Amino acid sequence: MLLKTSLRSFFAHKGRMMLSLMAIVLSVAFVSGTLVFSNTATGTFDKLFATTASDISVQPQQDKVTKGSSEPGKLATVPLATAQKIAALPGVKTAVGEVFTPNATLVNPATDKQVGPTSGAPTITGNWVDTPRNSLEITSGHVPQGPGQIVLDADTAKKAGLGLGSALRVITDSGSYDFAISGIATFKTTNPGAALAFVDTATAQRTLLGSNAYTSVEVYGDGSRSNDQLKADALSALGSGYLVKTAQEQKADNAKGVGSFLDFMKYAMLGFAGISLLVGGFLIINTFSMLVAQRTREIGLLRAIGGSRRQVNRSVLVEALILGVLGSTLGLGAGLGLAVLLIQLMKAVGMNLAGASLEIGWSVPVAAYAVGIVITVLAAWIPARRAGRISPMAALRDHGTPAEARANRIRAVVGLVLTLGGAALLLAAASATKAATGGAYLGYGVVLSLIGFVVLGPLLATTVVRLLGAALPKLFGPSGRLAQRNAMRNPRRTGATAAALMIGLALVTGASVFTSSMVSSTSSQIDKSVGADYIVTSNRALLTPAMVTAAKSTAGLAHLTEQKSLPVILTTPDGATTETSVAAVSPTFTTDFLLPVKTGTAESVNTGGISVDETFAAKHHLSVGDKLAIEYSHGRKQSLAIGLITAKGNSLFDGNFFTAIDTVGKAVPASELPSDVAVFGKAADGTDKGKAQALSALQDSLKAYPQLTVKDQAGYKAIIQGQVNSLLYMIYGLLGLAIVVAVLGVVNTLALSVVERTREIGLLRAIGLSRRQLRRMIRLESVVIAVFGALLGTGLGLAWGITAQRVLSGQGLAILTIPTGTIVVILLASALVGLLAALFPAFRAGRMNVLAAIATD
Amino acid sequence: MTTAATAVQDPQLPGDQPVTAASARQVTKAYGAGETRVTALDAVDVDIQRGRFTAIMGPSGSGKSTLMHCLAGLDTVSEGRIWIGDTEITGLKDKQLTRLRRDKIGFIFQAFNLLPTLNALENITLPMDIAGRRPDAAWLDQVVTTVGLADRLKHRPTQLSGGQQQRVAVARALAARPEIIFGDEPTGNLDSRSGAEVLTFLRRSVDELGQTMVMVTHDPVAASYADRVLFLADGVIVDEMHAPTADSVLERMRRFDGKRTS
Ligand SMILES: Nc1ncnc2c1ncn2[C@@H]1O[C@H](COP(=O)(O)OP(=O)(O)OP(=O)(O)O)[C@@H](O)[C@H]1O
Ligand SMILES: [Mg+2]
Repeated sequence: MLLKTSLRSFFAHKGRMMLSLMAIVLSVAFVSGTLVFSNTATGTFDKLFATTASDISVQPQQDKVTKGSSEPGKLATVPLATAQKIAALPGVKTAVGEVFTPNATLVNPATDKQVGPTSGAPTITGNWVDTPRNSLEITSGHVPQGPGQIVLDADTAKKAGLGLGSALRVITDSGSYDFAISGIATFKTTNPGAALAFVDTATAQRTLLGSNAYTSVEVYGDGSRSNDQLKADALSALGSGYLVKTAQEQKADNAKGVGSFLDFMKYAMLGFAGISLLVGGFLIINTFSMLVAQRTREIGLLRAIGGSRRQVNRSVLVEALILGVLGSTLGLGAGLGLAVLLIQLMKAVGMNLAGASLEIGWSVPVAAYAVGIVITVLAAWIPARRAGRISPMAALRDHGTPAEARANRIRAVVGLVLTLGGAALLLAAASATKAATGGAYLGYGVVLSLIGFVVLGPLLATTVVRLLGAALPKLFGPSGRLAQRNAMRNPRRTGATAAALMIGLALVTGASVFTSSMVSSTSSQIDKSVGADYIVTSNRALLTPAMVTAAKSTAGLAHLTEQKSLPVILTTPDGATTETSVAAVSPTFTTDFLLPVKTGTAESVNTGGISVDETFAAKHHLSVGDKLAIEYSHGRKQSLAIGLITAKGNSLFDGNFFTAIDTVGKAVPASELPSDVAVFGKAADGTDKGKAQALSALQDSLKAYPQLTVKDQAGYKAIIQGQVNSLLYMIYGLLGLAIVVAVLGVVNTLALSVVERTREIGLLRAIGLSRRQLRRMIRLESVVIAVFGALLGTGLGLAWGITAQRVLSGQGLAILTIPTGTIVVILLASALVGLLAALFPAFRAGRMNVLAAIATD
Repeated sequence: MTTAATAVQDPQLPGDQPVTAASARQVTKAYGAGETRVTALDAVDVDIQRGRFTAIMGPSGSGKSTLMHCLAGLDTVSEGRIWIGDTEITGLKDKQLTRLRRDKIGFIFQAFNLLPTLNALENITLPMDIAGRRPDAAWLDQVVTTVGLADRLKHRPTQLSGGQQQRVAVARALAARPEIIFGDEPTGNLDSRSGAEVLTFLRRSVDELGQTMVMVTHDPVAASYADRVLFLADGVIVDEMHAPTADSVLERMRRFDGKRTS
């Protein structure tokens, strides 16, 4: 019986449920799409690794110093003799020596353009070997033979426009090598997104390693022994100098690598889902509140003839349940579509999953229904409770919908306590001395103030909208006055609608305050402390000696400063060890960079001393003159005295340990010194013209190395700006969605309000309100709601952003920059959002038949 | 049906007749088509005299509301022509009709007459607000005092009784000084005392202010406040009565029922 009335009521109001349904569908689609996508991707890679992993893989034991660092250093190798020893082990069918490195750069010599991905995914160069489980097969041409031939993977070749016979240059630490493409190889299953190039084994050893060895030996058994037995045999035969991994272990390693990227995707997508869920929740609350309000008389009648509170309450919840089930089902379907879309998208970044079949699994429908139903029923809970509280008197009251009870005192108290608590936490964060505690306060402060604002929303709606709308009657006459009153008549509804918009805009504003402060802080640091005119960096591995030589030969340069990065383990006098890296620099470094001195002298870096930063010094109670014990790779050791403690607050130097290349050279032989991570140049002629000339000369001499970027200070700042921008774009993307859903919310509220106010509108039309005036009234109400939400959002976001800057002021975010332009744009855009959201409801209202409106009972 | 002709004199051009505030000629209104076709008004001719109080009566479903809606430009007619003053409204566009309603017509509905977001005074001045006209302060004062609402002006509709709400609606209709006011059972929802209050007030507005008033009603007592009563049956004007009393109207209505049942 209950179900029947609920069902009937649901379908009677299906139009009004449309937008809520859309919100649920959207959220559920994100959740299920993400899960299907990541299941499919993980499944595909598992399959790929399972079919291609060798039975056991023998790799050189990594140096204890280099192991933890991500700096590309010299490759450790397995000597030929060892490989032969492995091949002779019992149960081994074949043992294949492989040479692979991620440190080589592929260049198209015809255009001097880099081949393969320039960021993110790796380019791997190695030897072509035939193993029983090759992941690629040659689909045209033939395997590489001799010093002049190379094979490229098909996806990379296609992207770079290369084919059989095209020239391809490989640049390694030891030099540049030219090849002609002899074959194109295609992945048998899935391209995990890397670029691959293959030469024959001898060439690989000569060009990539510079020695007659392997980077790993892959072993395939004859089936007589298990992989674990093979591993045990290998370990006992080879001793402790090697790492031996079974197929299972290799698979786990690989999955971890791909997994971290997929995880990022997954969390980003779940972020989308979370935000649309949150905003969708407000939409559902509003829809059900309005349905309940519209049915006040009906419900009052039901109560008058003996319906219990619980029955009324439950009938609303059952309706929500129906909506939830329907939305989840549609969302699940849409989610599959989304997964397919994501797979296509991955193809664009080089990860080809197109051949894979969707893996859905039981977890996806469970998650979809759980999310969809729980959020709907939860959101409908408040309106349902309210419905249960409607008194039988309501049936007798004449004026259809009663003016909603004024936002109550409890709400005010709770909202104020939360908001003040949040504000107090933010203040505490801003004045915290330690960044870590400040960060924690900031986090709690953000959450608390957000919830506080959501709770206070309806109260603020009354006051803020009154202020906002005060000018409306003057500006827009009767439409303005009616709009202002309408926006205020239902503070709870206005509050919830605006809250949806507020959340998105608060995040955008906070993020843009943070990022613009970051840009201006870093720029000012560069201005203050960088004397070098140019910086040369590589997007792949290091700057090889050949590149440095080429740079040095440039005319118009006063000098060139080199910087190397060496992984080390530091032992401080307090006995603590730190895995980090030391920046070894040329003597001119101290003239190129104005090191911020806390104590000591910058010059000491050039005279056998080492610098530490203030935070590190404080942590380990270090002062100038204290000795640091340093262990480099290959067990080279040195003890250096601290000559300089750098003042904190400059992100260019924080966390760095500077010393001279010559000083390091005393402990580390030249053959073990890594190549440069960066090179800085200074123009001989300090005028703008001289600097520009030297810049183009430098770019010219490094033309053959497309992996290098040569930037002057302005260009360097632009790079930082660019890095920040890409972060911003991501945030904007995420929030674009939140705003779309928020717009849906405004449309939803207005459309339902128009339906609810049918008689009012009919009356207004009867006594002479023109269609235009009517539409304007609805548009203005919409704009008021949107601007209200935007004001709350930007206010909150400003508070968050400013606090974040204060918290990090010692961590390089010294300058607060408020992006006034962005904020003005946000406010204007919100007014536009309001106009846009009103289009449909205003159209509906304009089309309403006056007579029908008057007759509506 | 033989008495139908007495409802109107010879058709004449409304513009020549300053005593006519509204008139209809051969107005037919039909709903639906084919088998479900309902003729709500069947070739109705009517003239509403200026400065007089006209009541429209008739059995339920006889077309009273339809006639009023058509006369007031709220609804379109299937055939025939209608004038308000000397403006022909049949064939006008929505925009012009809206403007006409705004400037020349006042309405009092049976229920839901007021906007809940506006207070009494704002409701009263709403039509002028919409038109962008300033209300005539002296006139407004007079109207408000006459309806006895002077101390209730800041109240919202929910804070007023049903009778008070109807009085606000009456004040709204009067305040803009329309050429003609239409009321569809304006006292239908009121008890007899509040009803009498409103009706007395309407009567006075006709007598003292020279207002033209058309009112649809079921109640012979309400009709007795009018100068003239038109009787409608099955979409046709079947009779009219001048200077009615409650008894004579009741008597006439009884005859109606008798005729119908016979
Ligand atoms: N929108 C409509 N669609 C179809 N028929 C309608 C419509 N409106 C009215 N009618 C019909 O037109 C006829 C006249 O209706 P009207 O509302 O004018 O009657 P009334 O005299 O006002 O009755 P009451 O005293 O009950 O209010 C009735 O038969 C009614 O069923
Ligand atoms: Mg009627």
